[in-house]
Amino acid sequence: EDAAEESNVSAELIALRKRLVDEWNAWRVVRRRELADERGHKNDRRNSSSEEKEEIE
Amino acid sequence: MRPILLQGHERSLTQIKFNAEGDLLFSCSKDHVINVWFTHNGERLGTYNGNNGTVWTVDVDPESRFMMSGAADNTLRLWSVQTGKNLFTWEFPTAVKRVAFNDDGTQVVCITEQRMGHQCAIRVFQINRDGDGTDQSTDPLYFFNPIGSKATVCAFTNVPNVIFTGHESGKVALFNVKSGEEVNNNERAHGEVVTDLQLSKDRTYCITSSKDKSARIHDTKTLQVIKTFSTETPLNSASFMPNRPYVLLGGGQEAMKVTTTSLRQGKFETRFWHKVFEEEIGRVKGHFGPINTIAVHPAGTCYASGGEDGFVRVHHFDDSYFKAKPYGDLDIDD
Repeated sequence: EDAAEESNVSAELIALRKRLVDEWNAWRVVRRRELADERGHKNDRRNSSSEEKEEIE
Repeated sequence: MRPILLQGHERSLTQIKFNAEGDLLFSCSKDHVINVWFTHNGERLGTYNGNNGTVWTVDVDPESRFMMSGAADNTLRLWSVQTGKNLFTWEFPTAVKRVAFNDDGTQVVCITEQRMGHQCAIRVFQINRDGDGTDQSTDPLYFFNPIGSKATVCAFTNVPNVIFTGHESGKVALFNVKSGEEVNNNERAHGEVVTDLQLSKDRTYCITSSKDKSARIHDTKTLQVIKTFSTETPLNSASFMPNRPYVLLGGGQEAMKVTTTSLRQGKFETRFWHKVFEEEIGRVKGHFGPINTIAVHPAGTCYASGGEDGFVRVHHFDDSYFKAKPYGDLDIDD
């Protein structure tokens, strides 16, 4: 019985850990995607401004 | 783990920092000196002389070309990493407590102390990287006095002109350096002074340590508290372990308080915590006084701690550390 109880607890703990990892990874994916988007826009702006300069010249 | 003891400081360490490649470790101290060491063998590569007071803070640019220091002699100094030459010095009415480069080494942000009728100030300087580095502007690009509690730590975020700050009251905040406006804050991030701030590699999250005995991971965009690590000792430093889901915490009771509190609090250990599960994993002993500063190699192959005892200890991890999967096969994003 004790052994069964113990394994129940660890099963719960394993489930909790899995949930925590899933939450963490989901948040990381969102933030990473946002950062990639922001950097993409920044590069777009840089490219367009350098093109503009060329036209002026 | 084989620790390497770096003996070269005569007084307590205030901050240590790896360069981007991780082959060099910079250390500053109350003994007025900055040292640079080879990470792999602990050999001292050089010393940066010139400060006339406690050097509180140090940071190195991404190319390992320029190093910045802030000191109790009210100076912010730019140094050549390679030659050890003091390239430029900025002077202020009060001590410089914290300095940090932006991600491409073109700007630095610094905090000066509130004292003798002077408010705490945050300044951003443009670093001229052309030429030999001696041609710098005396005037800051931006200057402001943060409202409310004085700032103790700061760093650039991914958002242009926005910095993350930690404060004496325990507050964390985001400031727009151009306008000096507080963009967002979390007044109750910590219950006491924020002692350290270190960023994740992509700067999307950060960790703060506090005298309130806890460390916290914050989202640098929303200031949401993501994780909390509660210990039984005041914390002076917190660091992320790249490629492993761990955070490293260091602190300890001041020497005077040790005798009046339990033995447990008199031990000076670096604590390893699981950053997602918020569980303590283990401790590494060694220092004879509180741990003031912790830094982790950018590749996660070793870490260093600087203590009130004047020593820096560098711990290189064994193969067994890299093989160990104490929590099974879980894929955790860095």
